[in-house]
This record gives sequence, C-alpha cells and structure tokens, in this order.
Amino acid sequence: MKKTPHGLIAGAALAMGTILISPFTLAQPIDTARIAAGSPNDWLSYHGSYKDWDYSGLKQINASNVKNLEVAWIHVPGKSTRGLQSMPLAADGVLYYTGSYSRVFALDGATGQLIWSYFPELDEALVARQTHSPYNRGVALGEGKLFVGTVDGHLIALDMKTGRVVWDVQLQNSQKLTVGFTGAPLYAKGTVVIGSQGGEWPGRGPIYGVDAATGKVKWTFNTVGGTDEAMKTWGNDTWRTGGGGGWMAGTYDAATNTVYWGTANPAPLYDWAGSDWMKTGARPGTNLFTTSVIGLDLDTGNLKFYHQELPHDDWDFDSAVGEFVLLDRNGQKYIVHPNKSGYVFVYDDQLKVKNVYNLLENSNFVKSIDPKTGELIGRRDFSEGKQSEPLCPAIDGGVSWNSGSYDPETGLYYKIGNEWCIDLTVQKTTPVTEPVVQLNIGANFKLVPPPGGKIYGHLDARDPITGAKKWEIRFPEPPMASILTTAGNLLFVPDSRGMLHAYDAATGKELWSHNDGTGHQGGIMSYSAGGKQYIAVVAGFGGMVSDDFAPTFGEPYKSMPRDDGVLVVYALK
Amino acid sequence: MLLLGFAVGSAHPVAAQQSATPSSLNVQQLFATTCGWCHSDGGRAAGRGPQLMNTTRSDDFIRFRIQHGKEGAMPAFGSAFSDADIDAIIKYIRALKPDQQ
Repeated sequence: MKKTPHGLIAGAALAMGTILISPFTLAQPIDTARIAAGSPNDWLSYHGSYKDWDYSGLKQINASNVKNLEVAWIHVPGKSTRGLQSMPLAADGVLYYTGSYSRVFALDGATGQLIWSYFPELDEALVARQTHSPYNRGVALGEGKLFVGTVDGHLIALDMKTGRVVWDVQLQNSQKLTVGFTGAPLYAKGTVVIGSQGGEWPGRGPIYGVDAATGKVKWTFNTVGGTDEAMKTWGNDTWRTGGGGGWMAGTYDAATNTVYWGTANPAPLYDWAGSDWMKTGARPGTNLFTTSVIGLDLDTGNLKFYHQELPHDDWDFDSAVGEFVLLDRNGQKYIVHPNKSGYVFVYDDQLKVKNVYNLLENSNFVKSIDPKTGELIGRRDFSEGKQSEPLCPAIDGGVSWNSGSYDPETGLYYKIGNEWCIDLTVQKTTPVTEPVVQLNIGANFKLVPPPGGKIYGHLDARDPITGAKKWEIRFPEPPMASILTTAGNLLFVPDSRGMLHAYDAATGKELWSHNDGTGHQGGIMSYSAGGKQYIAVVAGFGGMVSDDFAPTFGEPYKSMPRDDGVLVVYALK
Repeated sequence: MLLLGFAVGSAHPVAAQQSATPSSLNVQQLFATTCGWCHSDGGRAAGRGPQLMNTTRSDDFIRFRIQHGKEGAMPAFGSAFSDADIDAIIKYIRALKPDQQ
C-alpha cells in the first residue's frame, strides 16, 4: 500500500512542450485539472475529459485528408470473450486499454509495442456463474496510477509506468450476488468512484468512493434506498432486493465538487402491478434512486440532488447508460443525459429539468415526457400476462450504453437511436436472495420489429439542448459502438458489421470507410504520439445486446465470432 | 395467462434420477426471472441463446450444459440446481409448445 515514486513524472514536467521522444519521458502527473482541461493530445478519462464530449481537439486528420487514413498498427488482446467493449485511454503518447477479464495493456501509442500488461487472477468458478461477464469497459487514470474494476468485485490500482499492483481491494462480495464491476471507474481529486452492476439482481446497487492513494473505501452510496426518504419509496421493504447499481462511469464537475452518476433499473424489470404500482405489485412505490441521475459530493458521497428519469421504471430503461454532456450556452450550464428509453434529458447543473426530447420514431412505453417538468405522460404499466401490443423500444434499449459525441465546432450532438420492440409476457416472480439463480426479470420476451416496420438504427445530428434534428444517417442494424468527433470536422461511426465510417461532421456526407474485420461495440478515441494523430477503435462483438443480432439479422452476425477482438489504430499515410 | 398450462404435463417423461429430494423448482417462474433473458419467450424462440422448444439435443447434453454452462454464453448452474431440479427443467423444455395468441 505504498505510494509509487513520482520522480520520473516530476522531472518530466519540466520538459513539457517539447517533442515526445519515447513514452514516459515527458509524462506529467495526471490530476483533476489536467483531465478537466482535456488536452487534445491525450484521452484521459472514459469520455475524453470530464465534459463527456467524446470529442478530440486534434485536426491533423481532417475532412480533406481522411481519404488517406490507413491502419498504423493493431493489437490482439486474446481471450476476447463477448468481444471488446472497452474505451482506450491515452496519456503522453501511451495507450492504455482493457480486454475481457479486465486484462490491461499499456502500448506505445506510435508503434503499438507492448510496454506492460497486467492480467488479474479472477475467481474462475464465479466468472463461470455470471451472466453479464467477463467484459470490461475501461479504466481511469490519476496520480501516476491506472484504476480498473473486475467482475469478481475488486478495484485494482496499477503503477502507470510499470503495471505493478499498487493496491487491490475487494469492494464487493461477488459470491453472494454474482455481480461485480464491468464499467470504467472515474478519477477525481484523490478519489476513485466506481459503480456496481445491479439492475436485475436482488441487491442495493452500491457506488463506491475509494481513496486513490490507498484503496481505502471513503464512502458507499446505495442506489436503492440510499437515504431515509428513498427507503420509503419501496413498499413492503422491497429495497432489500431492489436492484439499482451504476454500471457505467459518470463524471465530475470541479466547480461544485459534484460527481454525476446514472443509476440502473429496479428489479424485477417488469412489474405486474399495472397502474396501481404505488400500492401493489413487486416493488410498490417510485423506487428511489433507481433509473435516476444523481449528484454526489465527491468527498463524502452525500446526495446533493437528483432527478428520477423514470419513476417506478417498468421497462428496464436505465439511467446508467449514457454520458453527462456538460455544456455552457450563454453563461447557462447544461447537462445532456440520454436515458436508455431513447429520451434525452437536459438539466441544469443541479439536475433540474430544462428540456426533454425523444430520439426515437417507435416509442410507446409512455405517450410523451413533459419537456418542462420531466413528468411521464400516458405511461404504460403492465398487468400479468401477455401484452397485446409490443413494447417499444426493446429491452435492448432505444440507445446503447455506448457514447454519443458533441462537437463544439458544429455545435451538434451526435447520438444513435435504435428502432426495435419486444413482445412481452409479464409474470409474477419472487426474488431469489440466496446465491444461486438470482436474475429477476419478471417476464418472458422476444425481440420484434416495430409495428408495420423494420428494425434499424439511426445516427442523429441534433442541437443538444433543443433536440432539433439537423440530419440523420440510417443503418440496417443499430450501430452499438461509441462514436467520435474531432476538430478535423470528422465524425467517426464504427458500425455493427465491422465497418468504420468517417463522415463530414457538418453535413453527414460519408468521406471514408474501412473494414475492421468484425463488429464494433466498444470505444473509439483519438490521441497524439510523437506529433502524429491516431484514431483508435476496438472491434469484437458479443454480449447482452449483440447476441440478439445473429437470430434477428442472420449473416454476417451468424458467423461473427463472439469471442474475438482487436484494437485497430489508424493514422495518415 | 396462456402460459400457465404448459409447465406441467410432458409427452416425454424424463428418466427418474436418484435424487434425494424432489424438486420444488417453479421452472416457469425460473424462465421469467433468469433463463428467459437469453432463451426468448420462455424458451420458445431463439434470442441471445438458442430456442429450446423442439430441441434435438439429448437430456444428457442439456443436463451437462445447465451444470457447466458455456464460456461467454451461458452461466454454469451446477452449484444452483440439484439433479431433480434439472430433471424439472428438462421436463419443462420437452413440454414447450408454441405460444398461442
């Protein structure tokens, strides 16, 4: 539990501004100010910086020369069970990324040569019992360390320079619920924040704040019944098995020392109470703080404010998916946050609703959501039995858990919407609390096309605040990966078939494409090494949503591996 | 509601296992909580996992798969279910019929 020496890093800070000669020679400490500043040469947190723009300020690769983009190097992580789902990070010319089983790699950003690797020893018997496993979606950097969660409930800090373990703490007893960590942690001001898987399991979905220096837990916030007020929103003490969780990284606002996090759905996913859900059914009440966005004090974990996007979520439409896009327009701070339902919520910095708009054409879980108050209008709650009309969007989500992108040059927010539905038969269930077969879905379902139409996905270019759509690009199957914009007026979209597309960010005109050999469902980012710009994307299909593609669409998904993956890095010729 | 009739009777009785205790498992509920996540429509349709209705796999194959899972696709339920429980699951699968509107 010793802090690693920072001699090299401190010495390097003096040399900033000169050309990088080899990795680490010029490494400066990664602290909160540096992540917030979001230097275009680096990609220091899950969404690039705390602003969650998934945008790179680099423009060496741009709309006029992107036709000369080609593969610079690739890296094969091996054992990519359920594909590659991670967002690479980059600092000072070194690329860091994870594969399945939380395998971590540090690679020379210019050549792809290995600097170090770290394969944690996971509890294999536990991993074999897990449903949402063994993928990992990314790491955090800070204080000379790299932080990574594991599916067996650990949070591990590695020395960024050597890959040596600095500390390794077990935050969760994964034996009990079989849940652990798949999402990236968030680093800010000496604290590492990571949220548990949850949703479908009979737990309380904790989010942890951990001391970055020692691994000591500073605070725990239960997304299910985390305050006295919240416990009262679970009739019959159902908070004991309420689900929740926060399985994707949130973000941080240094101005108010606030951690923003999105929470997962309650369990069971589908309730049989019908419109009487405040009083009867599986979990009577609004079920705070599931399917909510919350603001926590970074140092204490105390709740500062929240908005429950879907009170008593009856549709498995988490708030855990999606970015917190921090914007400033005419001196007013805004936070743009997509919900899994396909509705995008716009808040002020205290999570007060400023607007709500819908990305989807096919949506019937509510008639609408009041853009002024966020109130659900004409909500569709289910009674037991087969539902006469398909539920849209499908359980797979109106949006994926992967990220959209905001481009400050075009002022547009790019986000993918998914048009699909499910046939649903709701059934009464009892939560299983022993460590055996513990998912609690509460229904049988089957993916179906929207009534009278076909399944498809669309990339929308919209005003992030008003939601006004400027243009869209349609895809025969929803693209599942994150997307990227750059200062070169480029929009990169990795699609599910394996094609990486580059579009003119202003007009949506396709400028370039390349086949990465297998489907995309992870991150894409840009960084600079040795003065040269690179675009890094992970390819490798499989997992909770992607596994639906083979039975739904046939080829090329039928023969597409679900246990393979590759990191592909592009540069100009 | 239509589903309720299917879980009980079976046209293909499963060979009796020497289980100490009979299974108290409600397999229909088990599909609605866990299995149905991948085996769509209660096992009647392909989803993330294969369709189970009319499967040509042997009882032994199904038993092995339930116990040991399949890496990256299906969890191992060997520590969760007794032999009698797995008998009940196989019985449910063999009795599956198309969902009638």
